[in-house]
Amino acid sequence: MKKVIHIFFTVLLANILLLSSCKKDYGNLNSPTVEQFLNNATKSELNNLVSGAESGMRNNIALYLDDVGTIGREGYRFSGSEPRYVTDLLGANEGGLSNSNFYITNPWASRYRVVKNCNILLQAVNNSSLITAAEKAGYAGFAKTIKAYQLLLNLNLTDSNGIRIDVADPDNLGPIVNRNDALAAIAALLDEAKADLSGASVAFPLAGFAGFSDAGGLLKVNRALAARVAVYRQQWDEALASLNASFFSLDGAFATGVNHVFSTGSGDQLNPAFIPQNQTGEVRVAHPSYAADIEAGDDRIGKATLRNANASLNGLSSNRDVWVYTSATGSMPIIRNEELILIYAEANIQKNNLADAVTAINVIRKGHKLNDYAGAVTQAALITEMLKQRRYSLFYEGHRWIDMRRYNRLNQLPLDRPADDTWTKFPLPVSEN
Amino acid sequence: MRKCKPIVMCLLWLLVMPLALLAQSRVITGKITDATGGPVAGVTIMVKQSNLGTISDADGKFTLTVPAGATGITVNATGYKSQNISLEAGTAALDIKLEEDAARLDEVVVTGLATSVKRRNLANTVATISSKQLSGIAPAQTLDGALSGKIPGAFINSNSGAPGGGSSVKLRGVTSVYGNTQPLYVVDGVFIDNTATSAGLNAVTVAASGGAATSNQDNPSSRVSDIRAEDIENIEILKGASAAAIYGSKASAGVIIITTKKGRQGKTSITVSQDLGQIRARKLLGVREFTADRAASLSSDPATSEALKQQFIDAQSAGRIYDYEKEIYGNTGFARNTILSMSGGGEKTGFYFSVSSKKENGIVKNTGYSNTSVRLNVDHRINDNIKIGISSNYINSSADRGLSGNDNAGVSLGIALSSTPSFAELHPDKDGNYPNNNFAASNPLQTIALMRNNESVNRFITGANIDITLQKGSKSNTRFIGKGGVDFYNLQTNALFPGTLQFQAVNKGTSIQGFTKNLNTNYILSLVNAFTPSDKLSLTTSAGITQERGDYNNLLNVATQIISGQSNVDQAGSLTATQFRTKYQNDGIFVQEEATIADAVTLTAGMRFDRSSNNGDVKKYYAYPKAAVSWNLTRMGFLQNSFFDNLKLRAAYGEATNVPAYGSKFTSAVVSNIAGYPGSIINIQKGDPSIRPERQKEFEAGLDFSVLKGRIGFEFTYYTKKINDFLMLGSLPASSGFSTKWLNAGDLRNRGIEIGVNARIIQSRTISWNSSVNFWRNRSLVTRFVIPPIPQGSFGYVLGSFQVEQGKPATQIVGLNGMGVGVLGDAEPRFQMSTYNEITFRNRLSLRFLMHWKKGGQNVNLTSLQNDFGGTSADFDQVTNKLGVPDGIYRIMQVGTTADQFVKDASYLRLREIGLYYSIPKMPVNFVKGIRVGISLNNYLTITKYKSYDPEVSNFGTGFSTGVDVLPYPATKRADFHLSFDF
Repeated sequence: MKKVIHIFFTVLLANILLLSSCKKDYGNLNSPTVEQFLNNATKSELNNLVSGAESGMRNNIALYLDDVGTIGREGYRFSGSEPRYVTDLLGANEGGLSNSNFYITNPWASRYRVVKNCNILLQAVNNSSLITAAEKAGYAGFAKTIKAYQLLLNLNLTDSNGIRIDVADPDNLGPIVNRNDALAAIAALLDEAKADLSGASVAFPLAGFAGFSDAGGLLKVNRALAARVAVYRQQWDEALASLNASFFSLDGAFATGVNHVFSTGSGDQLNPAFIPQNQTGEVRVAHPSYAADIEAGDDRIGKATLRNANASLNGLSSNRDVWVYTSATGSMPIIRNEELILIYAEANIQKNNLADAVTAINVIRKGHKLNDYAGAVTQAALITEMLKQRRYSLFYEGHRWIDMRRYNRLNQLPLDRPADDTWTKFPLPVSEN
Repeated sequence: MRKCKPIVMCLLWLLVMPLALLAQSRVITGKITDATGGPVAGVTIMVKQSNLGTISDADGKFTLTVPAGATGITVNATGYKSQNISLEAGTAALDIKLEEDAARLDEVVVTGLATSVKRRNLANTVATISSKQLSGIAPAQTLDGALSGKIPGAFINSNSGAPGGGSSVKLRGVTSVYGNTQPLYVVDGVFIDNTATSAGLNAVTVAASGGAATSNQDNPSSRVSDIRAEDIENIEILKGASAAAIYGSKASAGVIIITTKKGRQGKTSITVSQDLGQIRARKLLGVREFTADRAASLSSDPATSEALKQQFIDAQSAGRIYDYEKEIYGNTGFARNTILSMSGGGEKTGFYFSVSSKKENGIVKNTGYSNTSVRLNVDHRINDNIKIGISSNYINSSADRGLSGNDNAGVSLGIALSSTPSFAELHPDKDGNYPNNNFAASNPLQTIALMRNNESVNRFITGANIDITLQKGSKSNTRFIGKGGVDFYNLQTNALFPGTLQFQAVNKGTSIQGFTKNLNTNYILSLVNAFTPSDKLSLTTSAGITQERGDYNNLLNVATQIISGQSNVDQAGSLTATQFRTKYQNDGIFVQEEATIADAVTLTAGMRFDRSSNNGDVKKYYAYPKAAVSWNLTRMGFLQNSFFDNLKLRAAYGEATNVPAYGSKFTSAVVSNIAGYPGSIINIQKGDPSIRPERQKEFEAGLDFSVLKGRIGFEFTYYTKKINDFLMLGSLPASSGFSTKWLNAGDLRNRGIEIGVNARIIQSRTISWNSSVNFWRNRSLVTRFVIPPIPQGSFGYVLGSFQVEQGKPATQIVGLNGMGVGVLGDAEPRFQMSTYNEITFRNRLSLRFLMHWKKGGQNVNLTSLQNDFGGTSADFDQVTNKLGVPDGIYRIMQVGTTADQFVKDASYLRLREIGLYYSIPKMPVNFVKGIRVGISLNNYLTITKYKSYDPEVSNFGTGFSTGVDVLPYPATKRADFHLSFDF
């Protein structure tokens, strides 16, 4: 008995010692952790964050376009599996937009995820001793520009419900700020980025920034976005000044600009807004008013091609596909010269430089095989014309709803069913409350 | 027979009697019969004061070598009372008649990792399922299905009718929200893996947005379904921490202990069984009957409307109106199952060997399940002091599961069907080309014909146990018991969607090939000392160490733009690979003391220390105590000659843990590339470096008694189970960049009662009727919740969603109620009841059936919504609403105002299994020892008001949010013919 007890305790003790000595911590076997980036990151680690941010900007971007495009009555997203595109977003049955539904929670979260990546990048850049000061400024300028753009897209959705600007510390988030303050903060962020980019050195590769991938190019992109923010803020002089520092060109190609690009590469994405023509079940079709309201001869009718059979769902119907994104690897503009020309027109109309505005509008009209503007040369008439050109030039690029809202014209958008509504804004996602 | 029985019996008798082994021995033969005179197989016969013993064969016969000087033998069998028989000098033949034990008081039940106790002294309710109940009524396709309705205290919910199984098993309520809610399965001492591995269908269905290849809506099977029910001798279910504490870090959702069949000493018996059956949909919903006007109403556009009308008229005049639901789900699957088993052995060695093969077709063409299994269990006694047992099992299973459930691309069969009217033409032309379905994104007939979604598994499970008697004395003996094993499998998932499919217009063919390797190993090493200072007292002390390790590696390749006719992932224009690995090691140390006083009072106390590599602090040991007491009043001499022949009071308390999921302590950056540049983007899940395991504290108390000489036994149990620091993927404000974070979010509580009655209602020479009835109910309550309530586990308030919220049941369902957001239901049933009955006529003909009643518990039924929305629901045109519009339209009009129409009572009364078996009395040839024939029906009768394919459904698989119904693979029913021969 004694012997047994002896053995018992020896074995037990031996095992406990053995166990204590072989504690296991396997670490993360699947991917790097945030801590790794924050601990003296190498250039290639920082570049991974840059590409991650650029790549992440594309997440849920088609849903963003559908949100804005559906409420702005640019088109319908018919889906056999998802009724809420044609119920909630169009205000069917006197229902409302829900703060827990995918149409707001998903794009909102995707944008802030990129903001987070940019914040991690900024922190990582700060902590890194392996890059030069000029390179640091390059990373910082990029990160802040992208951050500002992502915040702007979310503000476009929630508008007067506001957004959160200070989100660096997940456990201690800043307040929700109202629309005007948010726009001011976004403009300030772009200005900071501008300061960073002046004299910076860009040590990272970018995918969709062809022609703008050095510090000078990024600065032009930054100013183009600043011009957009300025017109949203009705700061017309600021808009024109920003245009001057951007890639704006009255006689440049409309398509010049920066894009989301897509490829079939590993870990990459295909253009989620691409749906082949004449599909059934899952389709994105143009609102009937697009073709009804277009001027004869406008080549932009090519953005809404005739289907071989009508698509209809739930009391809605259309005979034209949205044909803006025409291939799975085709790009999607972030901002391009055609918008800048229209911003130029808008700022000049507002500043009562009507001749300059008409010149710009005619550049657009001519570019789309239309005759020169022949309407009244008054501020009011030109605003209507400018909004119309924006509607057709920037079709399904995420503008119409926001433009009509800026000019208090949401009531001019057509309602297709008796109980439909036009929303002015999305609620803040339930998680923000 | 359970393998621990000989061990336990020898242990018990070693305790009670002094050792007096002498050299001379003799041989005793005997036959064991029951009250009706029928032979009883599988009875354990042990020589008192030794670990010598044998087991009776199919004829109830046994042969036992007894040392001279042995004073007697003990006879034990599940379902019968134990007997002690003293041996007179010269006894050579014995006829032993067993008395049935309805209350199963003499059954031996596992209470520790290395110890067990008779049910009469048990402090917990431990449910057991016998081999007969498991596979002898109307066998389900897989093991998880075969458990349904058989475990009091469990809420078992089948995810869908897809071949290959997949069920959620919740013991005594939901024990975690995002942690593991599924019990631990232990097969012969081996902790087996039950991970559900997605085949990457999300790459095609986009059920969860965000571009991931996998989601929890991919409807994979459960890996426990690989185990063959026919090999199982019995199953014991430890429902909560008070019984399972000694299993430590994996036991918080309960433990299901599976013991497989063991060899029997004596003549080798061979059994060949053949089952033939058919599988059909349990119910079809029916389709909308179209008219020209109804066809026209599918579109609001006048031109389209006119075209639809014309299409209908043309189709009708050509006789081309179809019932696609029936065409797709209305097939009859043929099922066959063949089993060859052999068992036998000598004095030292016993073996059980089985080979089985089943192949079953599904109700959807090109779906089905097959399973081939080989098992060899060997028990060997090296000498009087050392016994070893080895069990090994190879399984090859394959399931073609079709494409069902939620999707956002219009590709799953149900979604496509929901918007396809009867006048659409989906059939292929004479060259086999399928037309595009103009009413949906896919042509389901084409999808079925061309796609593949296969899971195939090669799996080895090998367990070993060793029992060494280190010391034997008159009052004390000490044993070393070691158990352990390996569970290894390779799982290959193969999902192929050729480019000719309608919905592959963009991807031009998708091939998703997954390769998973999983290795689980575990061991338990313990020392058990039994000390018997007197007849009235015995003490069992056990202590030991445990370790479990797991290593899971999943590689998933998604290839698109595939070369025509190819499925290899390199034959493609685009390839995206993801790899996911998890690895853990859990270490445990335990000590346990059990005291039995006068065979009437049992006291148990134990402590377990656990740590896990998944915890935030990998070094820290967490301590989990347990204690239990049972007091058998009748054994104490109280209540002698009273109404009760056995009355026991019991109480037990225990704590257990649930370790955090692998990786929950990391905030990682996932890959997101662009144009060939490697990108890292912050994961939407924020880790918690200090994450702790959740701790469950369970208290249960009960009263068991039997009356009328054991003919009726009752068990009452009350339990309260608190889960502290439950693990949760809590929502964060999405503006933080994270959607969710792992955290220990609060406390929840489950309380419930379980009542069981076992009765021998009739017992005579010609007829016997055994019946058991169980009633159980559970209520959960979130008592503390540190983050704001957020809808989760479903599709938001508009459609009805789960929401964890302080002061509310954990599984409440909330949603729009017309005035805002309110509570609409709770997934928890109000109560459940089941009854198992076996009626035997003249020992030859046996009728067995299992009824199961689930009362209450809501589902989120979105199947009807989808059908309404697609304009195809069978009752679309009925007008029963106040607006006087068709019901289908009325229901759609409610969307966005109220979710009440989706949150529906999923009560049911189900005749789960019924079987009639007959043993043929006269053998045609003398080498055949027995022939049994039988017929059985599984799931044939269900009474429910629930309006979908089946009240048992889960779009989100196993886990917290079961009961969300989105056009699943319809539930099935089956009829089987059984034939078996004994040689």
